[in-house]
Amino acid sequence: MLPIRLSKDSREPIYHQIEKQLKALIAGGHLAAGFPLPSIRALSKELEISVITIRRAYQDLESQGFIETVHGKGTFVKEVQSAMKQKTMTASVRAEFERAIQNAMDYDYTVDEIEKVFAETLERLGKGE
Amino acid sequence: MPEWIEIKDVSKKIDGFQLGPVSLSIEPGTITALVGNNGSGKSTMLKMIMNLANPDSGEIRVLGKPVDGKDESWKRHVTFQPQNAVGWNAYTGEDLKRLIAPLYPKWDEAVFERMISLFDIPLNKRFGKLSPGVQQKLSLSLALPRSTDILILDEPTASLDIPSKNLFMDCLVEWMEQEDRAVILTTHETEDIRKLADYLFLMQGGKPLGHFEKDILAAGYRRFWLHEMPAGPLPGELSRTENQLVSDNPDATERYLSEHGSPVIDTKALELEEIISLLLK
Repeated sequence: MLPIRLSKDSREPIYHQIEKQLKALIAGGHLAAGFPLPSIRALSKELEISVITIRRAYQDLESQGFIETVHGKGTFVKEVQSAMKQKTMTASVRAEFERAIQNAMDYDYTVDEIEKVFAETLERLGKGE
Repeated sequence: MPEWIEIKDVSKKIDGFQLGPVSLSIEPGTITALVGNNGSGKSTMLKMIMNLANPDSGEIRVLGKPVDGKDESWKRHVTFQPQNAVGWNAYTGEDLKRLIAPLYPKWDEAVFERMISLFDIPLNKRFGKLSPGVQQKLSLSLALPRSTDILILDEPTASLDIPSKNLFMDCLVEWMEQEDRAVILTTHETEDIRKLADYLFLMQGGKPLGHFEKDILAAGYRRFWLHEMPAGPLPGELSRTENQLVSDNPDATERYLSEHGSPVIDTKALELEEIISLLLK
């Protein structure tokens, strides 16, 4: 089982959610090179998504060099270059900040207010370490 | 890849009930759920695929071969499990296995033994003496090991208890690991549809309502919670209450709401079960 959590309420396409989360797991080192991924059919049952969608996500990840399918053996995590890992992590962190800032802007927060929340949160979490 | 099953403009009249015209293609590597109200013609369609009922018009091809009663060699590559097995009552599970296994060149004894042990089925009792649930488990244990290209199951989980349903789903998923196989099943269980189906074929009163890829169907409906309900109907609107609107065209609904400055409190996808109920209403 993979720790993938899909949000069917999100407007982000499901295949994109799967790709993003698998990339994060691979770039973050949680799935090491050589790790066998579930078959398309098994992941389809687990996530309650059709094989068509899973196949699309796997194909995209394969063309971007994150995974590889060995005929007759299965699909495996590939060795990802550190530049690619860095790029994926940066993109993921930036996307999360964007989402949070967008949320604050939806509530009509000013830039100053957003900065204040950010500074406070950072301090609180920093102390928790 | 060629289609494993090709149904073209098939129709049939049975005692005033008009089935079709139906067209449906099944690709290898896929599981299709045939869903519809009771008496919508699902079982008759399966029987026509197996040449157990004759269409009045139209054409059916299985594995590229026409289903017309002439050359039936394709039947060795297709497994059909009807709702009720006919003529099995006097035989034990052991007898049935000995009768069925030799007919299928790719019979997988290991799969049979594993399912018998998983489902804990007594092989020495006559089929007719088994409870409906155990009969169904035995039927499935005699179906999957045939390792045919196509598996057709008429309500395979109707009498199964919850653990057995889960075991069956695991077995079927494993069976489908060979990607050149295809499954058609009829079901009223949303669990089967959510976990197994890639495509849904919906039928009502003998008429096809559509052939849907599951995830596209699921993404096509949304419920919006609104502060104020604009005068309607809105683009995509299917139904509304005081503060909720159900849409079958969420993009158009959302665009309209944003253009008209109507704030959306929340929006959620509809459950597959609700979408099916809407379509079969």
